[in-house]
Amino acid sequence: MSSILKASNVTKKFKGLVAVDDLDFDMKDNTIHSLIGPNGAGKTTTVNLITGVHDLTSGSVEFDGKIISGLPTYKIARSGIGRTFQNIKIFSSMTVLENIMVGGHEQAKLGLVRGVFDFKASKAEEKKLREKAEEILNKIGMYELKDKLMKNLPYGRQKISEIGRAMMNDPILILLDEPAAGLNPSERAELIQVITKTHREGFSYFLIEHNMDVVMNISDYITVLNFGRKIAEGTPKEVQNNEEVIKAYLGNKYVTKKKVSGEV
Amino acid sequence: MTKKMKIRIAEIIILLIALLVVPLFVKNNYYLLVFNRILINAIVVLGLNFITGLTGQMNLGMAGIFALGAYASALITRYANISPWVGLLLAIAVGWVIGQCLGYPSLRVKGVYLSLTTIGFAEVIRLMFSNLTDITGGTQGMRNIEPYSLFGFKFDTQGKMYYLFFVITAFGFFIAWRIVYSKWGRVFKSLRDNAEAVEMSGVDIADVKIKAFTICAIYGAVAGALYAHFMGYINPSTFTIDMSTNFVIMLLIGGLGSVIGNIFGAIIVTILPEMLRFLDDYYLITFSIIVLLGAIFFPNGWVDAVVRLGKKTINIISDKRAENGKAVSR
Repeated sequence: MSSILKASNVTKKFKGLVAVDDLDFDMKDNTIHSLIGPNGAGKTTTVNLITGVHDLTSGSVEFDGKIISGLPTYKIARSGIGRTFQNIKIFSSMTVLENIMVGGHEQAKLGLVRGVFDFKASKAEEKKLREKAEEILNKIGMYELKDKLMKNLPYGRQKISEIGRAMMNDPILILLDEPAAGLNPSERAELIQVITKTHREGFSYFLIEHNMDVVMNISDYITVLNFGRKIAEGTPKEVQNNEEVIKAYLGNKYVTKKKVSGEV
Repeated sequence: MTKKMKIRIAEIIILLIALLVVPLFVKNNYYLLVFNRILINAIVVLGLNFITGLTGQMNLGMAGIFALGAYASALITRYANISPWVGLLLAIAVGWVIGQCLGYPSLRVKGVYLSLTTIGFAEVIRLMFSNLTDITGGTQGMRNIEPYSLFGFKFDTQGKMYYLFFVITAFGFFIAWRIVYSKWGRVFKSLRDNAEAVEMSGVDIADVKIKAFTICAIYGAVAGALYAHFMGYINPSTFTIDMSTNFVIMLLIGGLGSVIGNIFGAIIVTILPEMLRFLDDYYLITFSIIVLLGAIFFPNGWVDAVVRLGKKTINIISDKRAENGKAVSR
């Protein structure tokens, strides 16, 4: 399997604080790769570094064989990376369908002036965009809600709609920043379903999550961060049994306890 | 073509004809003058809608843009001694340049600070024109600005100008309508709600914001040019912050983001003070109170409020009918 997203020696310093420290990871194509870690470990910062929201202090990020660190956010998005946000960022005064269609703005190539005067082309393009958005809404199970205003939707739906918006750009990779935060168990189950289903259809996911249910169920590979430093990586099983990880999450005490109980 | 569309087109044609024959029946020059002011104001509001209505950035510098358009057109017709139509083209060019320049700070400055920037811009323009006495005549203003003419036909009366402005406003309306209800309008609106998410969709938001400002400024400058040749006299003291706020009030009353609302906003805010003139000294305060109450009770604009009220009554009536029908069938 070829590598799709590769971070090499990524470091980010905010003044004196080292948020991400010499992070390396290599995400393989067509996988769900998770980044976990306690609060303040630098997970969201990592996503912001990948998407160009923050500049890297040093190191580089490579996507699909090309260096993307240093590019502005919109160019990174155009290169095939979609993203959802930890604190949802939706267009609340617009309908669900419009929300998704904004994601495809760049897919429609018609310029402003031609759009005004070329009735036929603009109509055809709008139709294409709408059909694509509707197809995606079908995929994420929100087709019935398409004409509802976004702000009237429950939180879980709003979060899932962000995935749909990201899909409009035909990304290869979607970064999910804590998609399950704030969702109730049934919404969470639905989210897992959407992710696994679309993953089978060819989307790769880079997932940041606190909810271990979600992470352990769907990840192929996990990288664990603590205080900005990578402390472990491996398959979900490997990570679960890693001493460093248990120490980071639960404290020293539990490492020994586990060993004792393991011996018995 | 569906039946619904045919009805739509028929409606639009009837409306256009109705509006075109207005000067045949209204002979009063004062009324026609008010109509012309409405048309010019409507153009400004159509433009302002792109910035303040759609992308949600308060632009309180519309008077500055308006003044630049007016002076650009008036000065070139005066000193180069050419047709006001060239002035109109120059106004479009000036609008484009202002849009590019004013769009730039909007990338860095947000909210209240952007409003202050735009106010500052408008004041600089106003003071510049009042102090360039040699060229603009300073606070004395510029007199006898030539009216528009087409193949020897002079648009020199209010009635004739009405036709000209009507056509230009209709064209402006058409363009605004096409943009607002296209993918561009959608992306402008999404910028108001959440810029970061738009950027992550691969949209160069700097470019889009500057586009919105440019459209806005072109509309404002064109309206300014029309105003100069319509009044025949311009004076820097017209283009104050009062004028800018008036445009914003028109936009708010019509409803943010709605193209038809823009037109109604321009109509209401232009006519209302005229209708209140019988109150003499108190007309301005009455007008302000009406606007204030409107802002409190109809935050989505008056047009929206009327439409909602209409829908409500229709619903109530149809509900009653349904109930009666049930009672009868029982």
